[in-house]
Amino acid sequence: MCDFSSKTLGRCLCIITGASKGFGRSLAQQVPYILQAGSVVLLVARSGLLLEELKTDLENLTVHLGLVVNCVSADLGTAEGVAKTLEAVRQDAVNDYDHMLLINNAASLGAISQFCSFTDPAQVNAYISFNVSSALALTAGVLQALPQRPGRKRTVVNVSSVFAHKPLPRWVLYCTAKAARDMMFKVLAEEETDLKVLSYSPGPMDTEMQEEIFRQMGVRHELMPCQKSGAKLLNLVLDGDFPSGAHIDFFDL
Amino acid sequence: MHPPDLGRALCIITGASRGFGRTIAQELSHVVKPGSAFVLVARSGDDLRTLQAELTDSEAGRAGLRVQYVEADLGLPEGLERVTTAAKEVATDLIDHVLLVNNAGSLGDISGFTKSFTDMAEVNSYLSLNVSSFLCLTAQILQAFPQRPGLRRSVVNISSLCALKPFSSWVLYCSGKAARDMIFRVLAEEEPDLRVLNYAPGPLDTDMQLEARSKSGDMLLRKSCNEMFSKGQLLSCEESCGKLMKLLMENTYTSGAHIDFYDI
Repeated sequence: MCDFSSKTLGRCLCIITGASKGFGRSLAQQVPYILQAGSVVLLVARSGLLLEELKTDLENLTVHLGLVVNCVSADLGTAEGVAKTLEAVRQDAVNDYDHMLLINNAASLGAISQFCSFTDPAQVNAYISFNVSSALALTAGVLQALPQRPGRKRTVVNVSSVFAHKPLPRWVLYCTAKAARDMMFKVLAEEETDLKVLSYSPGPMDTEMQEEIFRQMGVRHELMPCQKSGAKLLNLVLDGDFPSGAHIDFFDL
Repeated sequence: MHPPDLGRALCIITGASRGFGRTIAQELSHVVKPGSAFVLVARSGDDLRTLQAELTDSEAGRAGLRVQYVEADLGLPEGLERVTTAAKEVATDLIDHVLLVNNAGSLGDISGFTKSFTDMAEVNSYLSLNVSSFLCLTAQILQAFPQRPGLRRSVVNISSLCALKPFSSWVLYCSGKAARDMIFRVLAEEEPDLRVLNYAPGPLDTDMQLEARSKSGDMLLRKSCNEMFSKGQLLSCEESCGKLMKLLMENTYTSGAHIDFYDI
């Protein structure tokens, strides 16, 4: 579950959005094992309560490893939420790091509904603001706060989906946001040659999002524990052995 | 043998005041039957009125083509409603084809790079026009003109190579185009009776292309845009529009496909 063969990211600033539940929470529990003392883990989600609980859960481990865990309760669907998160990033950015790792995981399913029901621009704008715009604005702000510097590696992850490339009836919001994000991160990879950019499609995991999918679709897939997919992602990040901008699916490896 | 025209069509064309949209309106007027109606949409009322007069005075206009316009900013919610209302008002029972051409779009700020976009309001405003309004207008029109026997319905997305390929300093445009292509691919999966086309028109000689070659933040990209211009490699709107018309009239394209000018 946490076998990383003693590879580490060194002293790292690791930012995880959507960290209170599901895949994000699981990543928050796994990432300490690949960080060295002096690292900071910044967890972002709307629920301050769940984040604090998570931080407490991790306390024994993180104190023992010499890591600091900070929490930011923010709604990334809003400009204020993104600004608040970037403020926290800037405060943590003052330290020296070997590596910066940003995991854009926060996302929502959106309404699963027939195409013609999406007549309300306010609804669509709100969905896009959270699922597309916030990933762009946050990533931009983080890259500005931690610019390229010799000896410091930077990795940006976009938690993607097979539906970034494959249309699914009634899922126009989700497919569209994932398609936009994959392209956004491909453009970023073209521009910033020192940066490692990865769109990672984690596969169907045992999360609340999958519960919601089951409720809406009535179809249950075989779900894997988050940690299984998380381990694959973190190994990819550790090895860095992928072309920047690539889209990699759990089932590819 | 494909029909030589697009029927008695209700054509809604966004971004119709200039560039490719204007040409689309002009070319469509040659291939629709009398009794057809156009709804032209753009922000510039003056330019729309000029085009409306031109079309009304043309051969098609004199044969009975009705042309309405809606001066609206599609980035704002009220804009969409007014377009749908205008389309419903101008439609008659004789209309046998509803054709929506989603052409309105913008480049966004291409002078910087992805890491400069920390302003959520700017990003949201861009996506509101180029993605949300695209989805919502299409949904509203399809809801207003539901499937019925004898009615053909076609929706077109003016797409781009940028929907498929990333270009440095063009993050908003590439992301928006990728999103639009996916929106239409989902639509095509959901509604097999609907004709859905993502048409990439090639590099057109328009104001948008001028913007690209004068403002692109990536110098290599700016240089290659300038070279295309100076070597006369840009396409005229008429040339590209001709291919779009052919696609629509032959009507054999796979619904949901992305077809580029250079593919045909």
